[in-house]
Amino acid sequence: MMIHSGILDVRKIGALLRGETGCIDSWIRQPRVGNLAVQLIWIVVGMGCYGAAMGAWRDSLQALYTALKFPLIILLTTFGNILINAMLAPLLGLNITFRQCLTAILTSCSLSSAILGAFSPLIAFMVWNAPPLTAAPAATSDLTHDAILLAHVLIIAFAGTVANLRLSQWLTQLGGSAAITRRVLFAWLAGNLFLGSQLSWILRPFVGLPGLPVEFLRPNALHGNFYETVLQICAHLFFPGHGK
Amino acid sequence: MIDLNVPTPPPLIAPGDKPGEREPIAGVLAVAEAMLRQPRRVMYQLQQPGSGRLIAAMLALAILCLGIYGLIVGSFSGGTQLWAAPVKIISGLFGSAFICLPSLYIFTCLSGSQARLREVIGYVAGVLLLIGILLVGFAPVAWIFSQSTQSLAWMGFLHLLFWFIASVFGLRFLDGGFAHAKARTNTGLYVWIVIFLLTSLQMMTALRPLIGKAESFLPREKMFFVAHWYHNLDTESETKH
Repeated sequence: MMIHSGILDVRKIGALLRGETGCIDSWIRQPRVGNLAVQLIWIVVGMGCYGAAMGAWRDSLQALYTALKFPLIILLTTFGNILINAMLAPLLGLNITFRQCLTAILTSCSLSSAILGAFSPLIAFMVWNAPPLTAAPAATSDLTHDAILLAHVLIIAFAGTVANLRLSQWLTQLGGSAAITRRVLFAWLAGNLFLGSQLSWILRPFVGLPGLPVEFLRPNALHGNFYETVLQICAHLFFPGHGK
Repeated sequence: MIDLNVPTPPPLIAPGDKPGEREPIAGVLAVAEAMLRQPRRVMYQLQQPGSGRLIAAMLALAILCLGIYGLIVGSFSGGTQLWAAPVKIISGLFGSAFICLPSLYIFTCLSGSQARLREVIGYVAGVLLLIGILLVGFAPVAWIFSQSTQSLAWMGFLHLLFWFIASVFGLRFLDGGFAHAKARTNTGLYVWIVIFLLTSLQMMTALRPLIGKAESFLPREKMFFVAHWYHNLDTESETKH
């Protein structure tokens, strides 16, 4: 029997994953500073392990950099958007406090971090078995690159889907109807995706290219933005002669 | 309206509901026997406090069984493979289980199961033990073939077949444990089983050679298992021609 103490303990990760309503309800309704610290630790450790496994394909130094950058993206996105997210929730019909909003979002991030952390040994094993990024011949490199990329996409999508499904359950429980929860979740996701994409762009590279040096940030990290680049790529794709 | 043609499934009896299943398992041989004859007794004992000793006994016995089978695998080439094959088979299977354990726990919790981490570790130990026991059962057959053929591809196929059969039974034990842990769905478990099988196959490729001879203990070239099999079959057919 799970004790609903309200303290977010590392051992209660199972309750979070199972979506045990009583336990999570008490964490979100009565946010504590201790809970916040534990959630931050989960995010740093889980995302850090996954980032390290991802970056290890390029170089051990890249593994260290990505281990630092992965949790950084999550935390910067969460804290960068927390004001607007906390304002949008009551406007869209979900009457929760700023702290409850922060706790709910951080709990969801902790959940995805726990899942990614659990899959990091598998990614590390996959990367260990792959030919080195710097030495592989073109054909092998393409195949390996695709396999590793597909694994990342599947695992990150799985972690994100589970975390958001649980978040929607918690929001519904916090007093919102299913329709309100959908609206709030969509607004939060849109904001997080918007800022998260740009932060990922600034903090690149995560794996790196064989021809480029291993570095924490690219020298042109703050030149241009993610959306500009996407637009430029689209322009090149649909209007090849334009701008030459 | 109740459809009388559809048979009602029998109610799920939890491990320990039958009197014999509550008896403690004492001794290493009793663990092996219980795994084969009374898996529900093992499941019940894994749910009890202080199951650490049982898990340790299961793991120790799994090491012994996998070591015996490894010796048979190594006897095909002899020499250093007599010790290298057992070491690689034990470390490979245990390594695969260790790599996949965190994701199993995640899937267990997401399915709504109430199984604790220790219980999940116990089920994985059960999988390893059952694989080991069954491989020991196949060992005489494998040894006879290894002494009567020179074909690396054939021996590879045979060991793979034995490993696959043993894995099916081992994973069935895990499935049984899951069924009694109040899981709402088994989808996560089935996904995990695929991940575990792929990881084991890749681990055996990463630790090659298990059957043939090589200059170094571990391979210098990284390769995915499908590419490795293709390469081996290609080499074998070229040698024959």
